[in-house]
Amino acid sequence: MQQYTRYEKSRIVGARALQISMGAPILIQTTSIDPLEIALEEFDKGMVPITVKRKK
Amino acid sequence: MYYKLTMEDKVRVPPNRLGEDLSDVILDVLQEQLEGSIDKEVGIFIAVTRVLEIGDGEIVPGDGAVYYGVTFEGLVLRLSLQEVIEGVVVEATSFGSFISLGPIDAMLHVSQISDEYINYDEKNGRLICQDSNRYIAVGDPVRARVVTLSLNEREPRDSKIGLTMRQAGLGSLTWLEEDRLAEKEQKSGGS
Repeated sequence: MQQYTRYEKSRIVGARALQISMGAPILIQTTSIDPLEIALEEFDKGMVPITVKRKK
Repeated sequence: MYYKLTMEDKVRVPPNRLGEDLSDVILDVLQEQLEGSIDKEVGIFIAVTRVLEIGDGEIVPGDGAVYYGVTFEGLVLRLSLQEVIEGVVVEATSFGSFISLGPIDAMLHVSQISDEYINYDEKNGRLICQDSNRYIAVGDPVRARVVTLSLNEREPRDSKIGLTMRQAGLGSLTWLEEDRLAEKEQKSGGS
């Protein structure tokens, strides 16, 4: 898995949590109901379908 | 004239539809957004037929939706001034008649129907030429020329299109047919 800086991680998890809270389908099995927790769990498992476009 | 165009646009895919097939969702969103709308440059959107290409999605801060750059194909009606078009009379009033061009109605003022004086027959909903007794009524196909174009992008229903039929070769299709037959007869009678 690609290594993200903490800033990138916060942006990805934040965006993903917002998507989940707005009704996007979740990609893992979880007992949690908090969008942010689900997003973090997805991120830790490398399941978040979001990447970072870096300037070269 | 009708055009089949390939267009590009950014499309917002809402998060609650992210699980579905992307091109289906994009087509839905585009159809919802564009069909029936008017753009002064492009024309009147009639249909978005298919999605050709979907670029990379982008996530904007503050919105959970994904924005895709999309190339798609659509059908538009782009009217231009002086264009000759055919339509059907949908309503006749004392001040003129309304002609349906398909996706939109246009106005044909009494003064632009014919060179003759026009009487309004309220009972039958007809506009009658005084001298020749020819008339146009609801349901008649007509050929006319576009003389005013005022398209309203925000409120497509408020758009105004003005037509004229005061010119050789324009008028109700039954009149044109009559004229053609009369001309034929004159020719054969003369020779």
